[in-house]
Amino acid sequence: MEKPRTISGIHDAYDAKKLSPVELTRAYLDAISKSDHNAYLEVCSQRALAQAEAAQKQLATKGKVPRAESPLFGIPLGIKDVLTIEGVATTCGSRILEKYRPPYTATAVERLEKAGAISLGKLNMDEFAMGSSNENSAFGPVKHPTHPDHVPGGSSGGSATAVAAGLCAAALGSDTGGSVRQPASFCGLVGFKPTYGRISRYGLIAYASSLDQVGVLTNTVADAATLFDIMSGADGRDPTCVNQPPTKTAAALAAGGNIDWKKTRVGVPKEYFGGGSQPDVQKAIQSSLDWFKSQGAQLVDISLPHTEHAIATYYLVAVAEASSNLARFDGVRFGSRPAAADSAPDLAAFYRQCRAAFGPEVKRRIILGTYALSSGYYDAYYRRACQVRSLIARDFREAFMKVDVIAAPVSPVTAFKRGEKTADPLQMYLMDIFTIPASLAGLPALSVPCGKDGVGLPIGLHLIGAPFKEESLLRFAQGFEKGGPK
Amino acid sequence: MSQALDITRKVADLARLELSASEFETYSKQLGDILTYVERLKQVDVTGVEPMLQPHADQTGLRPSLRGDVVEESPRDADGRPTVLAGGPVVTDDAYQVPPIL
Repeated sequence: MEKPRTISGIHDAYDAKKLSPVELTRAYLDAISKSDHNAYLEVCSQRALAQAEAAQKQLATKGKVPRAESPLFGIPLGIKDVLTIEGVATTCGSRILEKYRPPYTATAVERLEKAGAISLGKLNMDEFAMGSSNENSAFGPVKHPTHPDHVPGGSSGGSATAVAAGLCAAALGSDTGGSVRQPASFCGLVGFKPTYGRISRYGLIAYASSLDQVGVLTNTVADAATLFDIMSGADGRDPTCVNQPPTKTAAALAAGGNIDWKKTRVGVPKEYFGGGSQPDVQKAIQSSLDWFKSQGAQLVDISLPHTEHAIATYYLVAVAEASSNLARFDGVRFGSRPAAADSAPDLAAFYRQCRAAFGPEVKRRIILGTYALSSGYYDAYYRRACQVRSLIARDFREAFMKVDVIAAPVSPVTAFKRGEKTADPLQMYLMDIFTIPASLAGLPALSVPCGKDGVGLPIGLHLIGAPFKEESLLRFAQGFEKGGPK
Repeated sequence: MSQALDITRKVADLARLELSASEFETYSKQLGDILTYVERLKQVDVTGVEPMLQPHADQTGLRPSLRGDVVEESPRDADGRPTVLAGGPVVTDDAYQVPPIL
């Protein structure tokens, strides 16, 4: 069955009686069972079909999709396995949570389901969202949707492959240092990370709390806006979620009106164009900049001078927070408990037995993070990194006095082959250079497809907005999506 | 190298991670590489710069939304056990079971 690619396409098909929520849900479940991408860790067939049947009954009564009150009516979604759903196995890609069934649902998921969404299942990911290739999942790597020997990116690799391979209409991811934008870029999707604090992190299993943000992977900018609006807004269960009403970006996008490109200043940061990117990527990004110019936009050369320190900053801040957050996986309240643990001579030995279930990348980051926070090193590493983080945020603040949006590559490379970069973790970290700075500054940013390399692998254009200016960021992205190079 | 190995031993102990001999070797080399890389932050002049612990925390009008400090009872499952306990691998009655600590 040819499935519509967008939320409005699905709703049009429901209204025209060409498709029913149960038929569409079954079609996705069928596609998932036939797929060998390893995108899903858990498929919630019964739960999803029950949601679809309820939607079908409602549709029979109302005659039309209730788009205003249920903007996601009958829309089958995939959920990254870092977000909890009550009673559904939630592993975070880790053996340590293999048998964990959370007693509550994440706010983001709860709001989507309340708006009519159907959750098809939980999507594969790098363990505890630590990785850029989905090769760090304890449950095996995810295949790229069109090039099976390549990685889909990470850490939301399952989310990207699932959307691109037609295994869900859209997916939730999480972005700590680029984990939504980079896989979207690798798989030819829209990947959107809102401003830090826009979406509640309640039920999002923490990796680095001052960086983690729920994001979306979709086929279109309009779909990203719809999902974002529904999830946004204050939540008393997450004190870092800002006290603002839900956004209304989808309505603003739908209301249309042409962008006045002549009044738009597009910032081009010189530090992101140093020649370190793959030639195909450089060419595609340059064509995108040329397109903005051809529309009348003003390209403004800007500098973000602390960019060169972003990766070092991130790999101290994120791992420090991770070592603290992951201390809760102790075999008492969460996690697996091997039989040997019960005969451990003391509690420290007991913890060591239980925590053996962490994978190699998680152990590496816990070690680095514990070191950065340890007595005598705290000021030299963690505190200094937080100070440099302030300077990185200041660079952006100053840039946004001169420009409306910043354009750059998402990743210096296209999707690489599995196993190609696993031997050297530092080299893998360095590839996150273009996504990490916006994460450290807590800015909204997205990836939108802008071309392909010589073998047909997608390239993403990175657009970064000022804090809480998601609406204009999404408008620019939609303008580019409609008319720019692909 | 040996310094990195000592650090890795000490830190793994603090983090309650048991590593094999080959893991110690791999991690201490990688930790050494990463620590050399992050040394670059020492070149940055951070005099008088406030550390940023969370984005946008300084923005007025964006205060967090706090709920009331009210105790919520955990829902209970069919056996009458609080569902919050379901995450624990070994549970007895209304409690997590742990090995003797005394």
